[in-house]
Amino acid sequence: MITAERKERDGLGVRVVWLDRPEKRNALTPAMLREIVSEAESAEQDGEALLLAGRGRAFCAGFDLAMCQAARDGSIMRLLLSGLSDACRTLRMLDRPVVVAAHGAAIAGGCALLGGGDFVVADRDAVLGYPVVKLGVSPAVSVPFLRQSVTDGHARARALLPKTFTGEAGHRHGLVHACVDRPDEVFQLALDTAFRLAAVPRHAFSTTKQWLNSIEGVARNRFDKAGLDASLSLTGTPEEAERLAALKLGDQPNGATP
Amino acid sequence: MNELATLRYDGAVAYLTLNRPDQRNALSTDMLAAAHRCMDTLEEESSHPTVVVISGEGTSFCAGMDLKQVIIEDAGGIETPRALLTSLAKLTHRIRLMPAVTVARVNGAAIGGGCGLACVCDLAVAHADCIMGFPEVDLALCPAVVAPWLFRKIGAGRARRILLSGGVMNGSEAHELGMVDVLAGSAEELDSAANAVVRSLSSGGPMALRATKQLVNSLDGSLDLDVLLRGAELSAKVLSSDEAQARLKARRK
Repeated sequence: MITAERKERDGLGVRVVWLDRPEKRNALTPAMLREIVSEAESAEQDGEALLLAGRGRAFCAGFDLAMCQAARDGSIMRLLLSGLSDACRTLRMLDRPVVVAAHGAAIAGGCALLGGGDFVVADRDAVLGYPVVKLGVSPAVSVPFLRQSVTDGHARARALLPKTFTGEAGHRHGLVHACVDRPDEVFQLALDTAFRLAAVPRHAFSTTKQWLNSIEGVARNRFDKAGLDASLSLTGTPEEAERLAALKLGDQPNGATP
Repeated sequence: MNELATLRYDGAVAYLTLNRPDQRNALSTDMLAAAHRCMDTLEEESSHPTVVVISGEGTSFCAGMDLKQVIIEDAGGIETPRALLTSLAKLTHRIRLMPAVTVARVNGAAIGGGCGLACVCDLAVAHADCIMGFPEVDLALCPAVVAPWLFRKIGAGRARRILLSGGVMNGSEAHELGMVDVLAGSAEELDSAANAVVRSLSSGGPMALRATKQLVNSLDGSLDLDVLLRGAELSAKVLSSDEAQARLKARRK
């Protein structure tokens, strides 16, 4: 469900890590999140830039909620939340460049992954956002990453108001760094960007990236823990369990997060 | 006596309304005390709204400090402005820390401390033509209490420019800056925009909203009451200066 390929240009390498579950709009499973971490670590070892992209019509529709519904004790939700936090943190802390190609839609956990990128490309009409409080789920896990990209005011509004927003709005607020007209243009610009960043002298890049992380408090041990804990505190509660159980996945395309 | 701030419930939504329309809901010590009493009620255990909408009666949201109360006529008269600013500082902190999600329904002018009230809410809904901003420096005043909230709302760089250059802007400009989260095209469309936000928030799980708000508060420095109280003291000190008093008295004439 995660596949990877190495692309080369002028002796530089980019590891394209694909969310490869198009029939489920790349809905995230715990295994996929673990694989993102291991692919990122391999890219770093091999000196490659990393490009995170999605197969099919959308980048990622969020957690696999069918799996969450099947585990009524909240155990899958806990694995997904922890895995998401690990994946975003790994990407953010990676010494090499991380580019995210968010075409079509990046929702909830899918949108959280954008917070791990150094550079995010989306199309103007891409559907972005964290509309999960409706499900009794807190997007708190995303907030430590989101607020590295947008103002605290926007982070607050986006986390609390269960509404999606467009790629263009994401661009205006700073979550998206480049906006293209059509979804099918996203990948090429993201790949070009990954090669451009891969060409930046390596030591300067990693030192600068880690310095920026440090200024923002990201380098602190487990800076993401408070957000993860807030989201975890709701798993298994009646509110979350009942709202998740009441969700008719038939209403949602391929059982992904609405 | 007419309550200077009123509270009304509609299911899990509470409406706190500043009620001094003849004075454009300017912040007086009495109106702030009434708003604090509303907060007392909202904090009672039996009352646990999911969403609180803050608004102003009449055509203004809140025109800022009641300047009549901050003109010092006799020596040692700084106590009233100091009490007013301290009360405002505490009110903003209470609004930010309340478990319910707060929505500012900016129905008209939101100036100075009034604009600060809009910024402290979790979400601000305004219409394109309402006047917003922080003209404190134009009046030789220092917007020290509201500065931390504006920083958190729109980022330090933009906040610095706005607070140091004074003046006001319209709702559309405030939206572009990030001071307003949801913009209605006109005053007539404000209610439907605000109601849509309330409906959307009300669809959220109350526990999920509360946990999320608490987390955001813990990350962005919102818990810090001390900085607000120091701001109130600084603002009162600047207000009592000859420069400010001369400007205020000239304005009254």
